Amino acid sequence: MGTTVLDAPPNMAALFARAALTARGRGGDLPDTRLARTGVTVEPGSLADYARVCRFPLSDTLPATYPHMLTFPLQMALMSDRAFPLALPGLVHVRNRIDAVRPIGSGETLDLEVWAERFASHRSGATVDLCASVSAGGAEVWRSRSTYLARGAKAPAGAPDSDVTVDVGDLGHPVATWRIPDDAGRRYAKVSGDVNPIHLSGLTAKAFGFKRAIAHGMWVKARVLAAVENRLPEAFTVDVGFRKPLFLPSTVTLATAATGGGWDAAVRNAKSGTEHLLATVRPL
Amino acid sequence: MASNSKPATRKAAIVGGNRIPFARSNSTYGQASNQDMLTATIDGLVARFGLQGEQVGEVVAGAVLKHARDFNLTRESVLGSRLDASTPAYDVQQACGTGLEAAILVANKIALGQIESGIAGGVDTTSDAPLAVGDDLRRILISLNSAKTLQDRLKAIARIRPGMIAPEIPRNAEPRTGLAMGEHAQLTAHEWEIGREEQDELTVRSHQNMAAAYERGFFDDLVTPFLGLTRDQNLRPDSSLEKLAKLKPVFGRALPDGAEGTMTAGNSTPLTDGASAVLLASDEWAAEQGLPVLAHLVDAQTAAVDYVHGGEGLLMAPVYAVPKMLARNGLTLQDFDFYEIHEAFASTVLATMKAWEDPAYCKEKLGLDAPLGSIDRSKLNVYGSSLAAGHPFAATGGRIVASLAKTLHQAGPGKRGLISICAAGGQGVVAILES
Repeated sequence: MGTTVLDAPPNMAALFARAALTARGRGGDLPDTRLARTGVTVEPGSLADYARVCRFPLSDTLPATYPHMLTFPLQMALMSDRAFPLALPGLVHVRNRIDAVRPIGSGETLDLEVWAERFASHRSGATVDLCASVSAGGAEVWRSRSTYLARGAKAPAGAPDSDVTVDVGDLGHPVATWRIPDDAGRRYAKVSGDVNPIHLSGLTAKAFGFKRAIAHGMWVKARVLAAVENRLPEAFTVDVGFRKPLFLPSTVTLATAATGGGWDAAVRNAKSGTEHLLATVRPL
Repeated sequence: MASNSKPATRKAAIVGGNRIPFARSNSTYGQASNQDMLTATIDGLVARFGLQGEQVGEVVAGAVLKHARDFNLTRESVLGSRLDASTPAYDVQQACGTGLEAAILVANKIALGQIESGIAGGVDTTSDAPLAVGDDLRRILISLNSAKTLQDRLKAIARIRPGMIAPEIPRNAEPRTGLAMGEHAQLTAHEWEIGREEQDELTVRSHQNMAAAYERGFFDDLVTPFLGLTRDQNLRPDSSLEKLAKLKPVFGRALPDGAEGTMTAGNSTPLTDGASAVLLASDEWAAEQGLPVLAHLVDAQTAAVDYVHGGEGLLMAPVYAVPKMLARNGLTLQDFDFYEIHEAFASTVLATMKAWEDPAYCKEKLGLDAPLGSIDRSKLNVYGSSLAAGHPFAATGGRIVASLAKTLHQAGPGKRGLISICAAGGQGVVAILES
């Protein structure tokens, strides 16, 4: 196993292009390479832009979803590399779990490391987990696990079964209605660098088989967390299952229930009730 | 002991009030600003009580929908009024509770002996509403304003897109839930099983009570005509159950399982423009000026509920505030001669009363051993309320305080009245007046 330390965040648009051009002919096992960056600091302007788009109050503490802004480009670099067995176009983010070990100050210097693991078989393909760990002063302060599904792909022989289910209890009637405008994907792409074409416009989404542009799952997750951010435990796990795509524009509802010292939550289409996201928040 | 010792607390007197007739949105007052209406209302009060050129202790008022330029709305109104220009003033804002909260603030300073007299008021316009430029454009304009070089300015201008020009219109929706107040109220009405017919009945009574009060001249010394309007424009003396029954529900999209809404444009208050003001004073000041004392403001209480995640209705906070205030004063809900429950929606009044009657709710939510019980409907909103008059948010408190004080005064000494006002943000303001 080798760890490659990058001295700057990779260019995401270039990574998407490379991933698309090298999509064919991939296979084999997961690479055991790790990508890392050290001494990373958060740019105040980027944090403010992120907070505004996700509806977090701007404060001196990073939103629990923010470190993903730092680690995701590294994960993209890992996935777009030829050694990665699954083609990036067509990968669907189905689950994301974040452990916020402690609140992270916006001025802290952070070390990042990402890797892929748990190539697993799923009833409609294979899943892989992209993991990330963020430390400060040598101690881990944040970690995440993003599970991606590759439909039609096959996990290696002897692979474990995928675990993509997040269950929530009874939530009662919605506590909020959100009108999601058609530029929601472009706005989040601007602050996150996640310029995956399926989020940017109807036309680019069609090219990848979606009838309309879809919202970034991590943006919906961030908005759910922002809705309860003043009622969160000091250290917590927020686990989210991404269900049906949230097409843009849409009107969706948020339902929440305080439970287990944290929250259960769901984001559904306001008219059809289609489930877009189920979330649990529990003390760590 | 210092020689200039303060007096012990005393009860503030309500001397009288004034308001302009309330107008329907985008109608008679379409060209009038908040400052125009508040100034006219203060001047009406000044004329009624001979305060031209006089200094009062303080003027406290507010508006819910406010232009950025109106940061000092009340002081600017005082400067434009016939009051002595050395009268201090400040703005308050507590959504629909603004007007009553202003009266409480003035009354408290009088009670503490910090002032001898004061004016409490409120004003709102949904016609001359503040439009904001969209957030994207606003940010570009701010960076344009702070740009030091021509190049920076051009760079900022280049970021402007045609789509950004559309203004943001203030919405009557809760920021955290995205639901209109009516949608919230409809959820509560559904939960408390408040029927369509009882809402319409309450609405008809409001219109009839207010029309009768106008007929017998009750409002003659409470309302000053403005811009040609002499009565509240929303008032329909000929309102009837049959007419109201024809209206379609306008809320209910947030109801579970496709249940149908029961709230219509008839049994909900419309958007309205208007202003009100109340003159409060110490008994001594009133006597010196030769002015009457209609009633005293005895006590007040606020409360708030978690309507976002706490499962409580947006407009239910007064239900919590009243028992606290009753306990402090050793009173029961039945110890009142008049009740003023603000008709934000007919269903709000009905849900409030139903909650006070409900033993389980009173025990679990309000922590009471026994329910507060029911109130005599013949003592409720006896000269009509917001369903008939309309509800220019911050002006409602002043309307109610002045009208109730006069009603108590007419009924004779020792009469008691309860005011209950619900407000956006899950808040409630309540008060007791006594003649």
